[in-house]
Formats: sequence, C-alpha cells, structure tokens
Amino acid sequence: MIAIYRKALSFVRRSYVLQMSYKFEFFLRLFFMFFNILTYYFVAKLIGTAGMKYLEPYGGDYFSFVLIGIAFSGYLMVSLRGFSESVRDEQMMGTLEAMLVTPTDASAIITLSTLWSFIFASFRVLLGVSLAGANVLAALIILVLTIVCFSSIGILSASFIMIFKRGDPINMLFMSTSELFGGVFFPISVLPAWLQTVSHLLPMTYSLNGMRHALLQGYTLRELTPEIGTLVLFSAILVPLSLLAFRYAVRKAKMEGTLVHY
Amino acid sequence: MHRYSGGGIIRETAIETCKLTKTFVVSRGITDLIRRRPSAGGITPVDGVDLLIRKGEVFGILGPNGAGKTTLIKILCTLILPTGGEARVNGFDVEKESGRVRESIGLVTTDERSFYWRLTGRQNLEFFASLHNFFSDDARYMVDELLGIVDLKYAADERFLNYSAGMKQKMAIARGLLNDPAVLFMDEPTRSLDPGAAQGLRDFIKKEIVEERGKTIFISTHNLAEAEELCDQVAIFDDGKIKVIGTPADLKASLGDGSKLSDVFLHHTGKRFEERGGAGVTAPGFRRDRRGLGRGGGFGRRRGGV
Repeated sequence: MIAIYRKALSFVRRSYVLQMSYKFEFFLRLFFMFFNILTYYFVAKLIGTAGMKYLEPYGGDYFSFVLIGIAFSGYLMVSLRGFSESVRDEQMMGTLEAMLVTPTDASAIITLSTLWSFIFASFRVLLGVSLAGANVLAALIILVLTIVCFSSIGILSASFIMIFKRGDPINMLFMSTSELFGGVFFPISVLPAWLQTVSHLLPMTYSLNGMRHALLQGYTLRELTPEIGTLVLFSAILVPLSLLAFRYAVRKAKMEGTLVHY
Repeated sequence: MHRYSGGGIIRETAIETCKLTKTFVVSRGITDLIRRRPSAGGITPVDGVDLLIRKGEVFGILGPNGAGKTTLIKILCTLILPTGGEARVNGFDVEKESGRVRESIGLVTTDERSFYWRLTGRQNLEFFASLHNFFSDDARYMVDELLGIVDLKYAADERFLNYSAGMKQKMAIARGLLNDPAVLFMDEPTRSLDPGAAQGLRDFIKKEIVEERGKTIFISTHNLAEAEELCDQVAIFDDGKIKVIGTPADLKASLGDGSKLSDVFLHHTGKRFEERGGAGVTAPGFRRDRRGLGRGGGFGRRRGGV
C-alpha cells in the first residue's frame, strides 16, 4: 500500500516536471481555464434568478452550479481520454515497454499516469467554489467514488485502445451522453421525464448531484446516502469489469506482439 | 573465455527454453473478425528454440535483421507471450510467473526514445527506480552509484535530450541495472554507436558488468567481432531457429584453421553475413562525451527533443 502511494508521488513528480518543461503551455492552459470560468460567471449573471425553479435544490446560484458541473466534466474527460491517451503517449514516446519490464503492474502504470491530469482538473473547483458551509468530508468521499467510477470507465476505454489502437466506443458513448444527460450545465429536472431515465443510468448524474449538495448546501452523509450508495454500486461493477478488460487487452497485445504499436 | 566448462563444475541455470515458439497471426480487419473469416496465415520469428544458459555466462545471439532476435528477447522479458514451448528465467516461468521474472531481470534496448527526453538523467533513473520499488534515499543512493558506474555523474542533472548517443546507451545500461538483476538482456546495445563508442561500451560491459558484477548477460548482436569479443557462447540464429551453439573458438575450429565467424554463419545458414557498422576499432569511446561537455556544453552529436 505504501509502495503504491510512493509510486503515485513519483508519477506526479514526473508529470509535473514534464509539464513545467513546457512552461508556456502550462500557463496558457491555466489562463484559458480562468477564461472559461469567467465566461460562465457572465452567463450566470445573465441568467440571474431566471432558473431559480430548477436551481433551488442546489442553493440557487448558477455560477457555483455550473462550475462544479464543468469540473466534473473535466474529471470525466480526464478519465475517458487520460487513460487511453497515457497508453498512447507512452507507446509513442517509447517508454511503455521500459515500464512494463519492471515489476509494477500494467494497470497500476496506466492508472498512476493520469494522476497529474486529475490534479489539474481539480483547480477549477478550487478556483471558483466557496467552501463556506460545505460538508468537505462528504465532498471528498463523493470525489473519490467519482474518480474510481470514471477511472474504471477510462480503463475500459484504454483496453479498446490497447487492442484496436484507434476508435474507442466507450469514450464516444460516455462523452456524448454525460454532458447532455448528466446535468453538467443544467439540472436534469429540465429534461423531459423520459430523457431523465437516461440520466439515471450515468454515474455522472449521481456524482454531480451529490457533490453539489455537499459543497453548496452542506448535506450530511445520511442525506447523501442515495448518491453515495449508487456510486458504490457503480464502482463495485465497473472496477472489476475494467480490470478484467485491461488484463485481457494486455494479454492479447502481448500475444500479438503489439504492445508498443499505435 | 569458456568459464563454466572446465573442471566439471555445473552451475545453476539462468535461462532455459524448451521448444519455444512464437507465431504471429497476420492481423485481420474488423470486417474479417465479424464475418469470422479464417486468419490469413502467420509468421514464426521464434521456432522451436532450445536454450540452456548458465549463471554468469555471456551468451550472444547472432543473426541478421529480422531473424527473430528481438522477439526472443521480448518473450524472455515477458513483453510478448509465446505460442508454444516453455521458457524459464532465473527459474521462473515467463508466462505463469512473469512478475517474478521481471523482478530478476534488466533490459537494455537501443531505443533512445524509451526515456523521458525532457527529464534529466537522474530524474529518469529515479522515476524508473520507483517502478522497481526503490524510493527516496534508497533510490537516490542507488541512482548515484549507477551514474558513477556508467561514468555519467558529471551529466546527471542535464536533460536527457542533450545526451549523445553513447551517453544515452550508458543510461539504458544504468536503467537495466537498477534492480541489480541476475540476468541482463541487451538488444543490440552498440547498434547506434560509432566504432569508437561501441568499443568503449564493449570494454565497459566486459569489465564492469561481467568481471566486476558477474551478471548473466543475454546479448543479441549484429556484429561478429562483438560476439567474438564478449561472448562465452554464441548461437547462430536465422529464420527463428538456432542453427548452432558453441564458443566462438569451437565454432571456428569446427570449420578448420583460419575460419572466421562469418564462415561459420555462411556454413550453417547458407547466407552471407552482412554486418552493420565496424568493430574492433580501438578509440576513446565514451570518454569523449565527457570532454565534449566540458568544452562549452556540447555533447558531440545532439539530437532533437521529444
């Protein structure tokens, strides 16, 4: 356990140094993240109290609502693209084989490779959401469960990349549906009832709901039981499924000798 | 130097393969998969290979491009799964105990892209040390020691992209030694080096890795003089098959006085061996890199970053 924690630090340090070796790109990304947040600030100003009917369960402030939405959309993007991109990046840089010849497990290598992207995606929430009155512990629990769920989907996506190299249906499916049906930009109560059924099949819906209630209204763990319970259920299904799929993909790639092909 | 055959001493086995085979099925398109068309056939770069390499031995596999040397090394390093036969490295099965195999081996490749070019040499080695479960002070101490062994301490905090080809190859060796492996696999380690640097590397392998540390080395090479100079045993490998194994001296003697290793190759494969690069040229080799750095930061041959 300690070894994994120290390896995680080692991966974050590596990614940080690599990122900071491209300083201009790093600050450009930070700048456009701020720019993006500013856009939603003015959209929120425009909306004012117009959406109060739908936003009331989340405290009524659209800016805080949407900021959590886009941060989690960022987490989903990191999960869906991060894992498959880290496989591809390491394949293209030529470092994948050098890592896979060490005793560290392939799934640990891929998971730890995305840590830095998750940290970077968290900046959005820290930049804009007030934590006064928030239930930070509940928010952290939901964050961890969200990352576990999204990462599992990302590992499934990476398994496709490992075998087919390009063309990953998991990525396309979740990216296109989660923003529309998961409640990133608007509460799902805005959707017609039959479309809300789709929303309830996505982990994003429960992550966002739980996180918004925990951060914006300070809900207790007891009040958040439905969201936390559902995320635990998603994790219980997705984690073993994704690890099995990834193990199968690595074995198939080793069998075909295509581990480093891209 | 035939170090194990004298005196009837039987050493433990480092690598053992029995009828090891790898066939790559020619890939089919997704429409073929859906329509369940049979595969288009296959190629067999490793075909029924039997090997027995004892601990402490330097074993060379000599063959032309495309002979299957790299595939064989990758199977032994657990990066490719065999389709038939068995292989054990340090007593561990490469399929069933792949984790134990990886704990006990090091791999030195010629692929200079296998490092992070924008990290320094030290940062690269510390990162790979963590993958071998060495952290903090342990990792720092080990990396420092290895940088000393490969004579790169002076450039440890320079970015990898500034290293010359010879320095990159030394870094690959340092990385291969991170876990103090019992067996070190080297896939054409002198391929991208000029004759002087290649000779320097061979001297280094002989002195520092074989004589000082007594490692078992499995080296693939495309260079006859290299095989002759470094290896206790040489296998002539072509079309996925081992044609003959023996000490360089015995192999040459088997064809009569004055025979060369190239004659042995021709005799057993029916093909003329075409070498890549020269060997046996005595030149300053790696030392030149250090002098290059001292003269205003140049490393000799620089290449673009990644």
